[in-house]
Amino acid sequence: MNTVLLIASDEWRYWRRSKLGAAAGLLALILTCASLLATMNQVRSERETRVALQHEAEHTFRDQPARHPHRMVHYGHYVFRPPTALAVLDPGVDPYTGTVIFLEGHRQNSATFSPAYSGAQAGPFALLTPALSYQLLVPLLLIIMGFSTVTREREAGTDRQLVTSGVSPTTIWLGKTVALFGAAALMLLPLILGTVLSNAGGAIASGFLLLYALYLASWVLIITAASAWSPRASSALLALITIWVTLCIVTPRLLASAAMTNLPTASQIETDMEVIVALRNVGDGHNASDPAFNQLRANLLEQYDVERVEDLPINFRGIVAQAAEAKLTDVLNEFAERRMASQMAQSSFVNTLEILSPFAVLQSASMMTAGTDNQTHHRFLREAEAIRFQFVQDLNQVHTEKMAYSDDINRSSDSDAERRTRIDPENWRILKDFEFHAAPATQRLAQLAPSLLVISLWVLIAGSIGWLGARRLVEVNRA
Amino acid sequence: MHSAIRELRFAITDKVVVMALAITAILAIYTISTGLTESASERALIERVKALVTEDREFTLAKQGDAGSAAYNAYHLTYQAPHALSFISRGVRDDLPWKHRIRMLALESQIYETDTGNPELSRIGKLDFDFVAAFLLPLLSILLLYDLRAAEIRNNRWDFLSATSGNGLRLLTARAAVRSVLLYLGIILPFAIAASLNGVSLTSIQVAMSAVALNVFIWFLLALFVTYKTESGPTAAALLLGVWFTTAVAIPVLGKLVIEDNIDLPKGGEILLAQRETVNAAWDLPKEDTMTPFIKQYPEWANEATVDQPFAWKWYFAFHQVGDQTVAPLSQELSQGTRQRDEAMNLVSLASPSLRTSRVLSRLAETDIASFQRYNQCVRQFHAQLREFHYPMLFGRIEYSKEQMQQLPTFVPCEAST
Repeated sequence: MNTVLLIASDEWRYWRRSKLGAAAGLLALILTCASLLATMNQVRSERETRVALQHEAEHTFRDQPARHPHRMVHYGHYVFRPPTALAVLDPGVDPYTGTVIFLEGHRQNSATFSPAYSGAQAGPFALLTPALSYQLLVPLLLIIMGFSTVTREREAGTDRQLVTSGVSPTTIWLGKTVALFGAAALMLLPLILGTVLSNAGGAIASGFLLLYALYLASWVLIITAASAWSPRASSALLALITIWVTLCIVTPRLLASAAMTNLPTASQIETDMEVIVALRNVGDGHNASDPAFNQLRANLLEQYDVERVEDLPINFRGIVAQAAEAKLTDVLNEFAERRMASQMAQSSFVNTLEILSPFAVLQSASMMTAGTDNQTHHRFLREAEAIRFQFVQDLNQVHTEKMAYSDDINRSSDSDAERRTRIDPENWRILKDFEFHAAPATQRLAQLAPSLLVISLWVLIAGSIGWLGARRLVEVNRA
Repeated sequence: MHSAIRELRFAITDKVVVMALAITAILAIYTISTGLTESASERALIERVKALVTEDREFTLAKQGDAGSAAYNAYHLTYQAPHALSFISRGVRDDLPWKHRIRMLALESQIYETDTGNPELSRIGKLDFDFVAAFLLPLLSILLLYDLRAAEIRNNRWDFLSATSGNGLRLLTARAAVRSVLLYLGIILPFAIAASLNGVSLTSIQVAMSAVALNVFIWFLLALFVTYKTESGPTAAALLLGVWFTTAVAIPVLGKLVIEDNIDLPKGGEILLAQRETVNAAWDLPKEDTMTPFIKQYPEWANEATVDQPFAWKWYFAFHQVGDQTVAPLSQELSQGTRQRDEAMNLVSLASPSLRTSRVLSRLAETDIASFQRYNQCVRQFHAQLREFHYPMLFGRIEYSKEQMQQLPTFVPCEAST
């Protein structure tokens, strides 16, 4: 054990002396700290803005003047998705989804205004979040620091000296690995600090950090394994850069494009057109004489034992609006669920195959843990839809109960009737406060387990390969 | 010439070179074929949706009895068809809208609708030809070139070679040049073939080929310089990777931060909110408050602008137009700012060969910001055309009739200015 630490501290001394290690370490530190600060500030101010806008939207709605309740249905309401605690480290799909939805009657709008809309286009690595710098760049820096750890001894012939003095090749490899582990642990510090500052719950924060620690561990072992198996530093570097490009850059993108080709999702416009055709039989809720509502009218007339809709104690137009909205929402929800399911199918296609790359596993697991994945976005869409349906139907209820049918039908031509259809703003208090939360921590932690397992498997495999490579250490040198 | 042939023989017998070339060619062919498939499916989608929207418009219009309901219910598809070269770069086409279903209501509430796919897949990023040619190619260059001199030094041949060939640098140059040319051919031949088969103009092909050639040449020079200055392969590789990281990642990211910090834009949400408030407030305001600003913009309707009923379609569409007019300054600010940010990014790209190459390719593919803005302009023109068609019927100068509705304008995609 002492020998292992001795070799490790020797490696550390080498890094300190050669400017390479110092430069790589410094670069990693600057990079992660910069992206941490930038993302944290941005996400924090986003959170404040969105929470403030949410309150403002609620107040604006409740402060509207007296008007026809159906006008409030179209005036609509906004809901905002505030970023989760860990979004400061991994904003996930947040920059791609849009984070505000306009809620109105008869429509399910999609989230609008993703930051991509007017952002400067800076290429494929433009969104360098703390998460991405740990996923992509820290491994690259570890490669630059670690590719020559074992090969250097081999090229200088010092491994033979060590072995003859009683140090086993496995110990040499272990020492180098411990040294690189030390470097990785040091690089992890800014992330630990960021996680603590993010105010995430203890369990989630630990799960998140464990994920990244295991990921970096898998890279440390991949690097020392490649170094142990390579005859020369240059071939170790060639192998490692190829592995890095394959695992971190090519594989995830191949998986994404394979998911899109194999499981294409319908475009929004095409879905909208299907919805329109499906809705042709539902009837237009603005038009109480639409034949679709004949049955409804007949039932009501019978129930209240009257001859004409004018004699009903309630406003028939409000009833129609309510019935139409309910039917329409069923259809809209069916298509929305279908759309979400097809996206989830793509994601689970990627999730199944991504065991091929620890990078891809980490990427999805990190988003999921942070509550910034598509699943959480879908949760937001569903909650927003519940709010939408609730306030629209509450307004339709007001429309039904607080207004005479005769005023309602004459309001376009009779100014007095129009005035009477303007309902007291007291009624706008029906709107409920909206506060969005990601899935509970326990649920996310349970989902995290398989990913931790896969990355541990990578750690195990890379470790075994490195250990096997170490045993060849001296033989290759002799050959 | 003689040395070039010898170097070529060396290169094609070197396992690393052959492997790198194979990877390059496979990636090029793969990205080009997925790009072509994507363009084809976009064209098919446009045709399909166009038919659906047309069928639905005719179905709906057949039931409308007045000019207002007809204008309110008639939806139109606007779109930007993929360019012949769009297979080389996705650009902003996955993030920004290139198709809309619009009607005569306030355009500002419709034009920002973005029809994006699975955000988790968008986040992973695209593997398109542009990505390979601009961002991966330098990495392949580094792998092929970083060890050329160090390997000779390691095998104690460098001094010998320098002595026999007279000049070590010349030999190094020839060797690096041969490998760079092979790498270039590996990526550009699949492109040239695909482009000429798809009827792309010769000029565009030439520009794309030169852009990629320049990228390869820059990395050839960088590698030559770095390897000549350093003795050890790993150090050369680390330095070159550092340059790649700085130019491909750090400079664009920093540039983006600085640009977005300095060129402020109105938030998209502000436009939507302002637009919604104006349009909704109009219901409670005296009719003149809507008609006066409308007439200011469209004086030709001054004589028909009186509204004496609580509701009239001409007033309804007027307040939608006034809603657009009210937020027009914001909306112009947004598009001007986006353009300024893009121009600033263009300057930044001078310091990043990868970003530069990528920008040239997406400009040729018409998937860049400028072409997105041209499409937006095209939608605005069509919306104006629609309003000009419906106003005479809404203001009662022309009688509404099914025959008159036959003249309803249909969307024609705008030709690119380039």
